[in-house]
Amino acid sequence: MAPLLEIRDARRTFLTPEGGRLAALDGVSLSVEANEFVTLLGPSGCGKTTLLRAISGFEALDSGTMVLDGADLSALPPFRRPVNTVFQSYALFGHMTVARNVGYALEVAGVAKSQREVQVAEVLEKVGLAGLGARRPGQLSGGQRQRVALARSIIAKPRLLLLDEPLSALDRNLRQQMQLELKSLQHALGIAFIFVTHDQEEALTMSDWIVVMRAGKIEQIGTPREIYRQPKNRFVAEFIGETNLFPVTVDRVEGGDALARTADGVELRLPVLGRKAGEQVTAILRPADFTLGPTGIPGRVSRAVYLGSDLYLFVQPQAGGPEIRVIARDNQDAREGSAVHLSHDPARVHVLEAG
Amino acid sequence: MRNPYGWAALTVFSLGFFLFIYAPLFVIIGYSFNSNPVNMMIWEHFTFDWYTGLFGLSDRETGVGNRAAYVESTDQMLAALRTSLTVAVFTTTISTVIGTATAIALARFKFRLRGFYNGFLMLPMMMPDIVLGIGLLIFFVTVGMNLSMLTIIIGHCTFLTSYVFIIVQARIAGLDPALEEASADLGASEWVTLRKVLLPQLAPGIMGGALLAFVISMDDLVITYFVSGTGDTTLPIFIFGMIRRGVKPEINAIATLIILASVVIAALGLWLRSRKTD
Repeated sequence: MAPLLEIRDARRTFLTPEGGRLAALDGVSLSVEANEFVTLLGPSGCGKTTLLRAISGFEALDSGTMVLDGADLSALPPFRRPVNTVFQSYALFGHMTVARNVGYALEVAGVAKSQREVQVAEVLEKVGLAGLGARRPGQLSGGQRQRVALARSIIAKPRLLLLDEPLSALDRNLRQQMQLELKSLQHALGIAFIFVTHDQEEALTMSDWIVVMRAGKIEQIGTPREIYRQPKNRFVAEFIGETNLFPVTVDRVEGGDALARTADGVELRLPVLGRKAGEQVTAILRPADFTLGPTGIPGRVSRAVYLGSDLYLFVQPQAGGPEIRVIARDNQDAREGSAVHLSHDPARVHVLEAG
Repeated sequence: MRNPYGWAALTVFSLGFFLFIYAPLFVIIGYSFNSNPVNMMIWEHFTFDWYTGLFGLSDRETGVGNRAAYVESTDQMLAALRTSLTVAVFTTTISTVIGTATAIALARFKFRLRGFYNGFLMLPMMMPDIVLGIGLLIFFVTVGMNLSMLTIIIGHCTFLTSYVFIIVQARIAGLDPALEEASADLGASEWVTLRKVLLPQLAPGIMGGALLAFVISMDDLVITYFVSGTGDTTLPIFIFGMIRRGVKPEINAIATLIILASVVIAALGLWLRSRKTD
């Protein structure tokens, strides 16, 4: 079966005010299956918003193709594309009631008023705004406005919903709640979501697939677990979550592990598969992959940050080199200045070939 | 920290400033109720005579000029008012449509010389009225147009379009472009978006601009003076003519009525402009 959306080699170059050229999309290819939650993740300026706007039709491509449901998108103006968007600013119509905002797609499509009202009430119910139809957007809280924007964009039952950093204006608690709600709503509706964000936590929480972008190119496509555990390169490793990167030289293969050493002499144990003595690689360990114990890398806690159930530690290895970030359970007795040993499971180490 | 002397000085200055602006208006309003026909600066007693006299309802002699002239001037004044209103209505309509369309075009479409047009549209506003008036007069004579109400309307439109343009432009600049994108995204064509989203969002600016155009058109003397024919006297020109034959108490009454109308219209305009739509 053909994918719902197929983008091939999309390119888009902008002229900068200084007269230079900036490749916002530099040969992006991506396919999205029906009912998938795909997140475009990357730092600002990586092209994720340009890609989204190209799909919705507000940005033209210099070259490349976009096919949605077998139909070429590039020839269609925005109002003829069967996709809807949740805008970052919500873009609610302030001069209309909530109900009219939500029913706007049906109104312009010529659906009869009585029928519209039924559907509007249904969608408002779905997003948890039942009974607020008569209000103006200006009378709602930020979270409620977000829900109106969402309701308005799903009422016409698009095949594909585009979300442009819709949660960025909400406070942390509300954002986390909306993340879970969005995910379950996506499931319930059976609509494919393409979600743009620069927040890696958001991406990990909600996505079926994460597309990591940088400078107009796709760096990696994978499930949240793949992106987190097996980043393809340093950029992805550092962009997604807290990371410890160790450029190491493999010392020797010993039993089930490969022993490796940083230039400063910090010793790590890597999975043995494919390792040869003398080669240089980068070992990646997440803060939670370390445990404090009687053996392991000796070091001293230089800073300890209390996170509630966890302790976030910066450990200066005795051998030298950059501090290691460690997340430990709060029940461990580690405070600033105390001497600790960090041990790790070799299987949890991800190895990037070539340092 | 407040310096008490500085604070007092500021208060005095503010009061003085408002007095400076509003005193002449209050003087006129006061005089318009003074029954002394010879010297309006000496208070006699309260009267509505100058108001009733304006509309030919009073037979009071002012002592200045003769009675016959007054009866005639009542009709003339009403005719002038009618001319002014007609001119203002047409001018407001035309300049609001053109000014709004131009503001939308310059804000939403990219084309060559956009910045040039933008600056060019401000020019009629900054041009001295007298230059614009002379220019228009020479133009009308050159193309062979007889001076009439039509030439007044054209003359007013040339600079009032700029006023409307600037006010609508300010409104459109504060508008989130995503609103129109959202409308298109939800399936509305450009026309539907214009009708259902853009114009309603701009409405306070458009109304404010229209009211301003109306007030300025009603008020304009200099440009109108050059481009009006003999048969088409507007209210400001009528008053100007009256005052040249001496300040009569009726002028105060007319002025007071105009102040009243202006305040009402201006307040309406301010209210519409400031009204929040979101």
